[in-house]
Amino acid sequence: MGRRKLEDDDDNNNSKEFKSKNLQAERRRRQKLSDRLLTLRSLVPIITNMNKATIIDDAITYIQELQKTSQVLSEQLLEMEGSSEESVMPMKLEIDVAQHDMKKCGIKEEVKVSNIDGNKFLIKIIVEKKRGCFTQLIEAMNYLGFELSETNVTTFSGAMLFSSCVHGKYGDTLMVEHIEELLSEMMRSMKTSSQSAIELGNTN
Amino acid sequence: MHSWSWGGLPSPDGTTTQTHDILEDNLNLSSYNHHQLEEEDASTAVQMEIQQHHLLDTTTTNSHFIRPELSYEQSNWDAADHQSFNMLLSSSSPEAAYPPTPDLLNLFHLPPKCAFLPNSPISFKSASASSVVCDPLFHLNLTPQPPVFRELLQSLPHGYTLPADEKELYHDGDNGILEFTRDISMAAHAKGRDKAGKTTKHFATERERRVHLNDKFQALRTMVPSPTKNDRASIVGDAIDYIKELLRTVRELKLVVEKKRCGQDRSKRLKTEETASAADAGDGGCKLLGLGDPDQCYNTCLRSSWLQRKSKNSEVDVRLIDDEVTIKLVQRKKINCLLFVSRLLDELQLDLHHVAGGNIGDYYSFLFNTKIYEGSSVYASAIANKLINVVDKQDAAAAPPTSSTCL
Repeated sequence: MGRRKLEDDDDNNNSKEFKSKNLQAERRRRQKLSDRLLTLRSLVPIITNMNKATIIDDAITYIQELQKTSQVLSEQLLEMEGSSEESVMPMKLEIDVAQHDMKKCGIKEEVKVSNIDGNKFLIKIIVEKKRGCFTQLIEAMNYLGFELSETNVTTFSGAMLFSSCVHGKYGDTLMVEHIEELLSEMMRSMKTSSQSAIELGNTN
Repeated sequence: MHSWSWGGLPSPDGTTTQTHDILEDNLNLSSYNHHQLEEEDASTAVQMEIQQHHLLDTTTTNSHFIRPELSYEQSNWDAADHQSFNMLLSSSSPEAAYPPTPDLLNLFHLPPKCAFLPNSPISFKSASASSVVCDPLFHLNLTPQPPVFRELLQSLPHGYTLPADEKELYHDGDNGILEFTRDISMAAHAKGRDKAGKTTKHFATERERRVHLNDKFQALRTMVPSPTKNDRASIVGDAIDYIKELLRTVRELKLVVEKKRCGQDRSKRLKTEETASAADAGDGGCKLLGLGDPDQCYNTCLRSSWLQRKSKNSEVDVRLIDDEVTIKLVQRKKINCLLFVSRLLDELQLDLHHVAGGNIGDYYSFLFNTKIYEGSSVYASAIANKLINVVDKQDAAAAPPTSSTCL
C-alpha cells in the first residue's frame, strides 16, 4: 500500500511537511474505514452518540444481545423438541414410496465397475433410496479400501445413482468381478439390515 | 436485506407495546428468583426485552442498561453500590434477563477491590489507590454493559492523567478485570515536565483515547467467530457480516419456533376435535385448520438463512431456503471426512438429494443438496456449527497425511 508515488495533485498544497508518498492510498484507507463504520452504525438500532468509540461500543452491546436472543430461542426450541408430539416421517412410508416409484419408471438396481487404470476404477451403483444408504455406501467403500477421488450422487424417482471414481489405497489390485461381487453382496446385506430396522421401528 | 427493527416486531399474541407499568413489573422481578424466571414463558422474556429496548429508544439516555430510571440516579451511588451491582451482574445466570432493584444491592458485602459500576462517575478517594474496571466483554452472556472507558474518561477530574507508560497501562487480571494504577504525581512526572500544563495534558488524553479506542476494536474482534485481518477496516467489516448473520439466525429461529408451536397447537386442536365429535372427526378437524390459525403470517413466511464457518483447515457454507439446505464443504488437509459428514447429516435428519465433490489438488471439496425431513426442526446455524466441529475433530484426530485414513 505504501508503494504509490505522489501524483500531481492540485488539491495538495505544496508544503513539504505533511506530504506522504501514499497520500491517496491513505485517504482511501480512511474513507474505507469510515464507510464501514457508517454501515455498522446503520445496522445497530441502539445508538447513542455519533463518534467512533460509541459506534464500536454499541455494536458490541448489540452483538451480545443478539447472541443471547438466539441462545434463548434455541433453548426454547430444544424444550419444544422434547415435548413435541410430531415425529419425523417414518421410514416405512418412504420405502414404500421409493419402491413404487422405481418400479413405475423401470429402474433396476445395478452395480457396475470398470477398470480405468491400474488401481483406479469407475463404480456405478443404482440402489433404492433409503435413509442412511449413502452412509452405508461410503462405509462399504472404506471397507474395501477405496479412496473416492471424485464422487457424484443423484436421486430421482426413489432411486439413488452413485457414481464415483475411486482408487485402491492398499497395494493389492482387485479384479473387477470381485469388486462387483463384493458390492452386490454388501447391498444385499444393506437391504436386509434396513428391513429389520424398519420392523424394529414399527414394533416400538 | 430484510427490514427488521427492534420494537417493531409484531407480537404473536397481539399485545400492544408496553406501558410504564410493565417495565416496573420487570424491574421488580429480582434475579434471585431464578426459578420464577424459568417458569415464565421464555418467549415473553424475549418479548419484554424487545419492549424494553423500545422504551429505551424513546428515552434519551447514554446508558445501555435496561433500567433507565435507575441510571439517572448515578450520582447518588457510592462505591459500595457500584461494586455490588456489578458483582450481581457477573453472577447472574443467562436466564436472568431482568436486572435487580437497588434494594438488593445492600445485601452484598464485597471486598473493596472489586469491579464496580463503570457507568457512574467514579469518585477517586485517594491519589495513589488503584481501582478496577470491569472488562465489558468478560461475561458475554450478560445484560449489555455500557461503554466503559468513555464515561470513565469523562468523569476523570481535569488534572488527572494515567501513567505515561502505555504498555503497562492496564493488564488483564485472570478474570478479565482490567486494572490501572493512578498516581497523579507519577503521571505528572511522565507527562513531560511541562510547565505550561495544557498542551501536554491534551497529548496524554489523546493518547489514552487512542489506546482505549484500540482496545474497543480488539474487543469487537473477539466477538466475531472467525476474524480475518487485524486492521480496523476488516474488524468492522467482520462485525458487519456477523451482525447480519446473527439477524438472519434469530429471524430463522423465530420462524421455526412459531411453526413448531403452530404444529403443536394444531395437533392439540385436532385431538380435542376428535374427542368432541366422533362422527365428524375428519372433516371438522380439517375445516378448523384453515380458519382457526392465528399465526398464519408466520406460516406463509419463507424461512431462509445463510452462514459460513471457517476454521484452520476447513470451510463450511450452509444455505437454507424453506426446507432445502445446501452445504458446501472445503477441506484443506487430505483427510476424507465424507463418512463422518454423511453420518452427521443422517443424525441431523437431512435427506441427501445430491452430492458432488472430490479431490482437487490439496483440497477436498463437496457440495451437498439436502432436504429437511418433515417434522424436524433443525436450523442453519446448528448445522454449520456441528459440521465444523465434526470436521475439526477429524482433523485433530487424524494421523499425518501419509498414513491411512481415520476410521
